[in-house]
Amino acid sequence: MERITSLFDNDYGEDGFRTCSVTGLNVHRSVENHVKLFGLTAVIALVVGGSFAFTVAMTRWELIGLIPESDYYRHLSMHAWNVLIFWMVFMEIAILYVGGPMVLGRKLPLTKVAKAGYLLMLTGAVGINWTIWTISGAEVEPLLTAYVPLNVPPEFYGFAIVFLLGATVAALPFFVSLWLEKRGSSGETLPLVAFGAFITSIIAVQAILGGIAAFSYAFVWSAGFIESVNAGLYRQLYWIVGHGTQQINLAAMVTVWYMLTHVVGGAKVVSEKVSRSAFVLYLFFINLGAAHHLMVDPGLSVGWRIFNTSYAFYGAAFASMIHAFAIPAGLEAGRRQRGQGGGLFGWLTSAPWKNPVFSSTVFSVILFGFLGGITGVLMGQMQINMTWHNTFATVGHFHATVVLGTTLSFMGLVFFVINTMFRRDYISGTLASLVPYFYASTMGIATLVMMYIGILYGVPRRTSSVVRNIPGTEFSLSAAAPLFTIFGVMAALAVVGGVLFVVVAVGSLLFGRRLDGDDDGGMLPNGGVRADGGEPVHAVELRGTFALCLLFMATFVTMYALNWFLLTQLWQIGA
Amino acid sequence: MTSPTDPPEGNWWDEKVNRRESMWLGIAGLWSLGIFGWMSGYTQFGDQNPIGETYAVDSADYQETVQEYKDEADETEEGHLIPPGDDVYVGGLRFSWDGLPVVLEANREYDIHLGSYDVQHGFSVRPEETLSKQINLQVFPDTEWIIPMTFEEPGTYHVICNEFCGQGHNSMHGKFMVEE
Repeated sequence: MERITSLFDNDYGEDGFRTCSVTGLNVHRSVENHVKLFGLTAVIALVVGGSFAFTVAMTRWELIGLIPESDYYRHLSMHAWNVLIFWMVFMEIAILYVGGPMVLGRKLPLTKVAKAGYLLMLTGAVGINWTIWTISGAEVEPLLTAYVPLNVPPEFYGFAIVFLLGATVAALPFFVSLWLEKRGSSGETLPLVAFGAFITSIIAVQAILGGIAAFSYAFVWSAGFIESVNAGLYRQLYWIVGHGTQQINLAAMVTVWYMLTHVVGGAKVVSEKVSRSAFVLYLFFINLGAAHHLMVDPGLSVGWRIFNTSYAFYGAAFASMIHAFAIPAGLEAGRRQRGQGGGLFGWLTSAPWKNPVFSSTVFSVILFGFLGGITGVLMGQMQINMTWHNTFATVGHFHATVVLGTTLSFMGLVFFVINTMFRRDYISGTLASLVPYFYASTMGIATLVMMYIGILYGVPRRTSSVVRNIPGTEFSLSAAAPLFTIFGVMAALAVVGGVLFVVVAVGSLLFGRRLDGDDDGGMLPNGGVRADGGEPVHAVELRGTFALCLLFMATFVTMYALNWFLLTQLWQIGA
Repeated sequence: MTSPTDPPEGNWWDEKVNRRESMWLGIAGLWSLGIFGWMSGYTQFGDQNPIGETYAVDSADYQETVQEYKDEADETEEGHLIPPGDDVYVGGLRFSWDGLPVVLEANREYDIHLGSYDVQHGFSVRPEETLSKQINLQVFPDTEWIIPMTFEEPGTYHVICNEFCGQGHNSMHGKFMVEE
C-alpha cells in the first residue's frame, strides 16, 4: 500500500510546486496527481482491453478458433470499449491537464470537479463493462457501435451517456485553467502544446455532444419511450462520437508528438504559423470527415457525401500532411542546429534510439502516416469505400491509426511520465528499450496483413468465422486462410509485446529506483532540451525531411492508383 | 528559438516559412485537390458508384413487395428465382437473404432493390473465382435502396453479411447465378 501512496508524492516546495529536471516546467502537485490518477486508470483499461485482444485475434485465426460464436461478440465488445474508448479517453484527460495547467505552470483549478468527472467516467466505464459481460441473448451484444435496432438494453446506452458526461466534467478544469491564463496575461500566445490541447478539447466537445445525442436517442427507444427508431439517423449521430473520439486521439497524439520529439529528441517548431494553422484546419474540418462511415449508406445524397469527405476530409488530411512534415522537420532543424546531423539522415541516425520515449514516438509518426493515414484517405473516397466498407481491411486501418499511432505514442508518454512525474527509473533499461521495437514490428505486420486480407479476399469484420466455414454452404473464403496464420502469430506476439510494456511500466512504478533531484534518468538529448545555436530555423536545409515526405507521397500515389485499379475491375454498379 | 512548450516570442506569424516546408505545402495541397477532383469526376464518367434512389418503406411493406415479386418470378429446377423483369428484390433478415438465389443474364442491367426486414445488414458480393473483386453496401430496415448493376462476367456471385446482425450472422449467405 505504501508503494502505491508513495506514487503520488514528489519533492514539492512549500507552495506545492517543483521544477521538472527534464522539461524545466514548473509543476504543481494538484496537476501532477490528477495526471497520474487518469493515466493509471487508462493503463488498467489497456490491460483489460488488451487481454481481450488475445481472445479475439485467436478466434479470428480460425485454425485456433478459441471462442465459440456464442461468446465471441461479448469478447469483441469488451476489447473495443476498453482499448478504443476507456484507455484513450482517460489518457486524453491526462493529456489535457499536461497541455493546459502543467505546460502553463499553473495549479489545477476546480480539483473537486476533476474528481467528480473522474468518478462519473469510472462509473460509466465499469457499468459498460458490467453490462457487456452480463447481458445474454442472441443479438444484444453492442460491439462498439450498438447499432439500432439491435436489441441492446437501455442500461448500456445509459452508462455510455454517464461516461461521456463524466469526460465533459473532467475537461472543465482544463478550460478554466486556459481562461485564467488568458485573463491574466498581456496577450501572450499559448505554447504550441497548449494550443494543440485546446483544439483537441474543442474537437472532444463536438464529439461528446454527438455521442450524447446518439445514445440518448437509442436510450429512449430502447427503454420504450418512443416506438420506432431510424437506423440511418442513429448512424449519423453515432459517428459524430464514433469517429470523433478517434479524432480526439489524433489531435492529442499530434500534440504529444510535438512535445516528446522536442523533449527527448531536441526538436524545434519550424513554423508556429504553419503548425497552428494545421490545428485550426482540424478544428473546422476533422469531425465532418466522420461522414466517410456513411459512404455506402442508402438515403444520403451524393453531394452531401462528397462535400463531407472531400472538402471537409481533405481539409483535415491536408492538415495531417502538414504535421507529417513539421514533426520530422522540427527534429531535423533542432538536431542540425546543435551539430548532430551530417548528410541527408545524420540527424535521424544519431537520435536517441535506445530511449523508449523517442522510439515509440517516432514509430508512431511513421506507422500512423504510412499505414493509417494513407488507408484512411483511400477508404474515404466514396467509390473505393465500396471495396473497404466493413471488411477486415477497415479493422486494419483503425489498428494502424489507433494502435500503431495513438497507443504507441501514448506508450511513449507513459514511459516519459514514469520517469518525469513518478520519478522512477525503469526496472530494466534493456527491456524498456526493446518494447517499442517489438510491439511496433509485430503489430505493424499484423495490421498490414489485416488490410491485405480485407481488400484482396473480401473477408468481413465482426464475425467469428467465414474463412474456413460459412455454416450452411460449401462456399468459404478459405483462400485467405494462409494469411491468417501470419496474422495470428503476429497478433499473439503483439499481445506479448503489450504484456512486456505493462510489466516494465507497472514494475518500474512499484520497484524502480527513485530518481532524485536533478537526475534526468537519461531522458534528455545531448546538449539538453534548450540547446541553442546555429542558423535560424527557416534557413536550415530540411532536405532529409523533404526526402522522407516525397517517399511518403510516392507510397500514397501508388496505393491510390492500385486501389482505383482494383475498383475498375468490378462489374458496373450504380446510377 | 522556438519550443512547443514555451510561448513563441515576438511576431511569430510573420516569421519566414522554410523553403522546403512551403514546397511540401504546395505538393500536399495539390494532391488534396487532385483526389477530390477524381472522386467527383468519377461519379460522372465512372462505372462503379454507390449511388441509387432511396425510398422510405416500412419493413413489413417491403417484405410484402418482395413476396409479390417472388410469386411473379419463374423458378429453375433447383428452385432459383428468375426475375420477371429488370427488377431484382433482395431482403436481408436474420439470417438469410430473401429473394436469393436468383438467376441473372450477363450484360443486362438490373435494378437491385435492397432492404431489411429486421436490423441492419451488410450486402457483400464477390464472384466465386476472384475474391478480390468484392463490393459492400449497407442495408437498413424501413429503407429501400435501388442500385443498378450489370454483371459482365458469367459465374456464381456469393453474397454474405458483413454487418453484425446477431448470433448466426456468419451463416447469412445467398447467390447470384449469372448466365450468358
